[in-house]
Amino acid sequence: MRSLEISRREMIAGGAAALGIAAAGIARPVRAASPLTVQDVLDRMKLHVGGPWSERGGVDRIVVGSADTPVTGIATTMMATFDALKDATKAGLNFVITHEPAYWLHQDPPPGLADDPLYKTKTEYIRAHNIVTFHFHDHWHALRPVDGINYGMQQQMGWTGYMDASNQRMFTLPRTTLLDLAREFERKLGDHTLRVVGDPALPIRRVYESWGNSSVFPGVSFLDSDADVLVIGEAQDWDLIEYVQDLVSSGQKKALILLGHVKSEQWGMQYCAEWLKGFVTEVPVKFVEIIEPYWTIDRPVMEINTKI
Amino acid sequence: MEKELGLAQPPQGTGQGAIQGAGAGRPAGAGPGGFARPPQHTGPVTALQLVDRIRARAGLPPQPVPDSAPPPNAPSTPPLADQILAGDPLTAVTGIATTAMATFDCLKAAAAAKKNLIVTLDPVFWSENDSLDRMEGAAVFKAKRDFIHANNLVCFRLHDHWPAKGPNGIATGMAKELGWEGYVEDAASPTSFKVPQTTLLGLAKELSTKLNDRTMRIVGDPQMPVTNIAANWGNTTQKQAIHLLNTSADVLIVGYTWEWAGVEYAQDMVAAGDKKALILLGESRSLGGGMKYCADWMKTFITEVPVDYIPVIEPYWNLRNPVLEINTKI
Repeated sequence: MRSLEISRREMIAGGAAALGIAAAGIARPVRAASPLTVQDVLDRMKLHVGGPWSERGGVDRIVVGSADTPVTGIATTMMATFDALKDATKAGLNFVITHEPAYWLHQDPPPGLADDPLYKTKTEYIRAHNIVTFHFHDHWHALRPVDGINYGMQQQMGWTGYMDASNQRMFTLPRTTLLDLAREFERKLGDHTLRVVGDPALPIRRVYESWGNSSVFPGVSFLDSDADVLVIGEAQDWDLIEYVQDLVSSGQKKALILLGHVKSEQWGMQYCAEWLKGFVTEVPVKFVEIIEPYWTIDRPVMEINTKI
Repeated sequence: MEKELGLAQPPQGTGQGAIQGAGAGRPAGAGPGGFARPPQHTGPVTALQLVDRIRARAGLPPQPVPDSAPPPNAPSTPPLADQILAGDPLTAVTGIATTAMATFDCLKAAAAAKKNLIVTLDPVFWSENDSLDRMEGAAVFKAKRDFIHANNLVCFRLHDHWPAKGPNGIATGMAKELGWEGYVEDAASPTSFKVPQTTLLGLAKELSTKLNDRTMRIVGDPQMPVTNIAANWGNTTQKQAIHLLNTSADVLIVGYTWEWAGVEYAQDMVAAGDKKALILLGESRSLGGGMKYCADWMKTFITEVPVDYIPVIEPYWNLRNPVLEINTKI
C-alpha cells in the first residue's frame, strides 16, 4: 500500500485551498479593528476547515457564553472537564474549544440537568470566569485533507509517514508485536490503563484506527479488513468487544486495543491549537491536556486536581 | 406453583383422545369424562419447554426507556430479551449453562461440559438487539453459528429483572459473590451496601480478587474513606450514573458506562472537591455472580437436567499483566 505523508503545511494550506485562497503559505489572518471576539474566531475557523460549515443538524455550537465575548486566549481541549476549565483559567484563556461535551453527553446539555448541583457549580465557575465553551466535534472530524483528530493523533504517535494513500484510517508500521504496540501507546500517550484483546505475541504490520467511540458497525468491517489490529477509544463490552473476543477465540489473528476515550483523541486537539495559531495571532492559543481520569490497582495514582 | 406448568400437566392440545361417537363404549383406560388418558412425555425435555418454564418464573422483561441519546449507529429496536436467539428450540436438553455473555469461549466450555442450553444475559451476536442484519457477512458469524449447530446448542437470552417476584436475582447473586449480604441496607433493593470502613483502593483490591477482575478502572482518590456503596451491575446509563452518584453513596460501582458521559461526570465531581468515586468493572465481571445465582435459582424448578454456571473469560489484559486468557482452539 502506498503510504502518504501529509505535511503540516499541506494541512493548513489544504483547508484554505479548498476555498480558492492562495495555497502558497499560511493564510494571512484578518486584523480585527476592535478586540477579537468569539465570533471573529469562529468566522475564521469556518474559512479554514476546508469544507462546508453547517449551522444545523450537528452538535457544533457555543454551549455556554455569548459570541460577542472578547477573547483573552483560546484553549483547545478534548473534553471541557472541570480540570480543563481550571487549567484554562489559570493560563488566562477564556475561549475553550472542546471536542467532547462540557455537560456529560454528546448533545449537551442533557435535559433535566438544570437542578443538578454539579451542573450549577460548573456553570457558575464558567460564568464567573467569563468563559465561552464551543463544542467543536463534527467540523473538526470533517477537516480536509485529513480529519483533524486523526492528524493530531498521527503526529503524536509519529505515524504521519505510515498512513495509507487510499485510506486515512489505515497505517502500515514497521513490523512489531501487539504487546510492543501497546507499550508504544502507553509511552507516547501516557496511557496506563489501556486494555487489549488479543495475543500479546501477535505480529503487527497494519493498524486500523477508529479514535474515540466505536460502535459495532463499522467496527466489524474495520476488523474484517486486512488490518491486524483495530485501535479505538472505547466500545461497549457486549458488542464490538465481544466480537473481537469471539474472533480471537475462533483462531483468527486479530486484536483490539482500547485506549480509553480521552487518550484516543486528545492530541487531535493539540493539532487544533496549531491549526488555530495559523490564523489567530492576536491572542495566545494553547492546548490544554486533560488528565486521564482512571487509575488501575497496580498504579493507584490520582491525577485529578480537586481544588477549585 | 407446579400446577401452572411442568411435568405434572400434559402437553397442550393432545388431551383429546378417543372419539366419542354415539353408541361407542368407553375406551379402555379412559379417565374422567370419558376422555382417553393423555400420553405421557415420551422423550427428553426440549429447550422450548425449559425456556417456557424459565420465562414463567422470570417475569416479563421491562420495556426499555432510553433516557439519553444513543451513540451513532445504535440500533433503534429494543433488545430481544427472553428469546431463543440461536439453535433449534426442539433440541433435547442435556444440561443448562448460565453465563453473563454467550461468547464463543463460553459456548466451547458449555459444549465440552454437555450443557447444550445456554442462558445468557448479553447478546450472542454482538449487538443489543442481536440483529442478524449486517452480521451475516462478518468473519466469525459463520464459525460461531456452525459451532452452535454442530454441537446442538440452544442460546436463550434472559432479561436481567428476574425473578418475577422478590429481590432482583442479579443483585442477590452479586451480593453473595462479594460476601456482602450482611451489608445490604434494604432487602428489597440489594444494591446499596454499608460496609466496614475501608479506602477506595482497599475496595478496588477486594473487588479485583473476588470478581477476578484484572483490568478494572477507578475514578477518585485512592485514599478516600468508603462506607456507603451503590452498585449498578452491568450497563449503566448516564442518567442512572448521575442519580446514583448524587445519593449518599461514596462510590458507585458499575459494569459499563460511556466515558464521555458518566465517567466525565464522576471526574468533574472529584474535580469540584466532592468525595466521590466511580469504579468500572467491565460488563461481564459485574454480572458473573448474578448468573451463578441464576443457576442456583433455576435448580429450584428444573430438576431433569444438570444446571451449572460458566464464567466469561475476561477478554482484555492490561500492561501490568499482559496474558491472553481467551481459548483460541475450536
